[in-house]
Amino acid sequence: MVTQKKLFAAAITTILFLIGFAQNALAVPSFARQTGLACQACHTVFPELTPFGRSFKLNAYTIDNLPQVQGMTPSKDMELLLNQVPPLSFMFQTSYTQTKTALPDPSGTSNAQNGQVLFPQQASLFYAGRIGQSLGSFVQLTYASDSGTIGLDNTEFRYAKQVTGGNDRLTYGFTLNNNPTVQDVWNSTPAWQTPFDQRTSAAPTPGAAAQIDGGLGGTVAGLTGYVWWMNSVYAEYGLYRAAPQGVGGQVGAGPLDSNTGTAIGAGVLSGWAPYWRLAYERQWDTNSLSVGAYGMTVKISPEGQPIGPPVDKYDDTALDAQYQLIGDENIFSLQTTYIKEKRSFGATATENSSGDLKTFRLGGSYYYQRTYGGSLGYFSTAGSSDAVVYPSGTAVTGFAANNSPNSNGWVGELDWIPYQNVKVLLQYVTYGKFNGASSNYDGNGRNASDNNTLYLLGWFAF
Amino acid sequence: MKFRSMIPLTMITISCAAPSLQAQENQAQRTANQVCASCHGPGGVSISPAFPNLAGQQKTYLEGQLKAFRDRTRADPMAQAYMWGMTSQLSDQILGDLAGYYSAQPPARGKLGDPKLIQTGRTIYEQGIPAAKVQACVTCHGKDAEGNATFPRLAGQHSEYLVKQLVLFKSELRADVNAAIMHNISGGMSFDQMEAVAAYLMSR
Repeated sequence: MVTQKKLFAAAITTILFLIGFAQNALAVPSFARQTGLACQACHTVFPELTPFGRSFKLNAYTIDNLPQVQGMTPSKDMELLLNQVPPLSFMFQTSYTQTKTALPDPSGTSNAQNGQVLFPQQASLFYAGRIGQSLGSFVQLTYASDSGTIGLDNTEFRYAKQVTGGNDRLTYGFTLNNNPTVQDVWNSTPAWQTPFDQRTSAAPTPGAAAQIDGGLGGTVAGLTGYVWWMNSVYAEYGLYRAAPQGVGGQVGAGPLDSNTGTAIGAGVLSGWAPYWRLAYERQWDTNSLSVGAYGMTVKISPEGQPIGPPVDKYDDTALDAQYQLIGDENIFSLQTTYIKEKRSFGATATENSSGDLKTFRLGGSYYYQRTYGGSLGYFSTAGSSDAVVYPSGTAVTGFAANNSPNSNGWVGELDWIPYQNVKVLLQYVTYGKFNGASSNYDGNGRNASDNNTLYLLGWFAF
Repeated sequence: MKFRSMIPLTMITISCAAPSLQAQENQAQRTANQVCASCHGPGGVSISPAFPNLAGQQKTYLEGQLKAFRDRTRADPMAQAYMWGMTSQLSDQILGDLAGYYSAQPPARGKLGDPKLIQTGRTIYEQGIPAAKVQACVTCHGKDAEGNATFPRLAGQHSEYLVKQLVLFKSELRADVNAAIMHNISGGMSFDQMEAVAAYLMSR
């Protein structure tokens, strides 16, 4: 049951996912440099995409208005097409985060200072744009302050062609990327979901999430093929496999082993993980409505075990929908997704050999003149309990004595966009349940509401 | 059917050998279908009123507007956001071919709206607003609002787009060729009158 919370807080934030993978960030002035188009052509307010922005992405980021370096064969095929000016851009995020109750410090005997400034929270360099005839790239290199490392973030290479005849049009293409759903163009799927896209890395987050919900980012590479018919019907299918260099150290049976930690669900993707995505979009006047489904089957060889059977199997199936009203002065959008994950544990000695996790998010945002706006959202994860998957007894990050993954809460946000490429947001997340309980979820006296978070973010993209 | 990749706009200005006229026109058609259609719709009939219908538009007018975007003399907000980038690398030849392509497309069908508004709009279109010294639109834009050379076709255009242009002319945010004439005309119109004439024109 949803506990009704007061919705008049100055801002409400949500922290939804495991922190492992770097925050997504999609305002990319690289594209503005390449196309000569202002941000508003492709975005309602970054990172959310307009119908034209979706078209730009699905056509492999190839609309280009820069002078080119070219190489042409005698049969006029373009074997080289490079922008003379590289479409580079930079992103800098700085933030202030405060939780309702201070977190214990590492000694465990007192509290850490509450109210943390991160400068940067994250800084990224992008090369994003066309790199060849019909071939585009989105490459993000990120410094994340929580890990103190520089690494490859969301990255995608894409090939696309259009076939038109009369009023018929078909776009088909392929994408090579490192994060399932990063290739998606609707902001209702995990990688680019608004309005839940920005969250702090300096406060606790619920511990349970589905594999397709950010669990694999950066540790896999996938190749998918897609078709998009009449700017309306979308179908995609492909396969992901563990990347040869994973995150973290080398453990287990050989040099290809990697692990993202010891949590259940971490480990190496065993074999191939099929990914699929269907969507239907309809536009009328200044409205667009899309409904879709997506899913993935993931087999994990846990940390320390040889790759291959037995494995832990995760079957993810999800639904999503998005509505946008893009007026001259007023923009309103609504996004929702529901992910159902069925688990069957063949490799890990869990309490129960099978389990499930259901994730639901619903959020809406409104912007006036693309300058002032806000958003509100509800999130929840709920699933079967398990003493091994959701162990209790760890302060702050542990699960409740009932070994339940259930978390839910609300996010609210106020946004100010003084320039098309600068965003200031004030966010407040409030938790009704955190890692299985409302009160004393970690057995150390911490309540779900103690993790309520106030988050102020300055986001510069240039 | 020949399958062609999406040709970047810049390529069109830099291609070396002189292609035949037909090949060039096909290039313009491909650009129109693969790039312009994303906003202006297949065949130049758009869904969102943020982007005008181009189908059946006067060739001279289209060519003039594309050049105005390219040389930035048309500088209203949507022009800056979208059309400056889109036209920056286009040659005169391609601009002309695109204008020719869209002018040959069957125009959008009229969409009916509030009959009273349409009637009011029709009166303004055919007789002007004498009290405010607003000339009748028909004198330049034609009996059926089909336009003539530099005077654009208005028939079948999204009413919201037409209203927006009148507002932009009035505030001089749109200042391309003939904007001075339109500034005088729209200056004598109230917002309600703009909505009425736009509703009439959309219904044609």
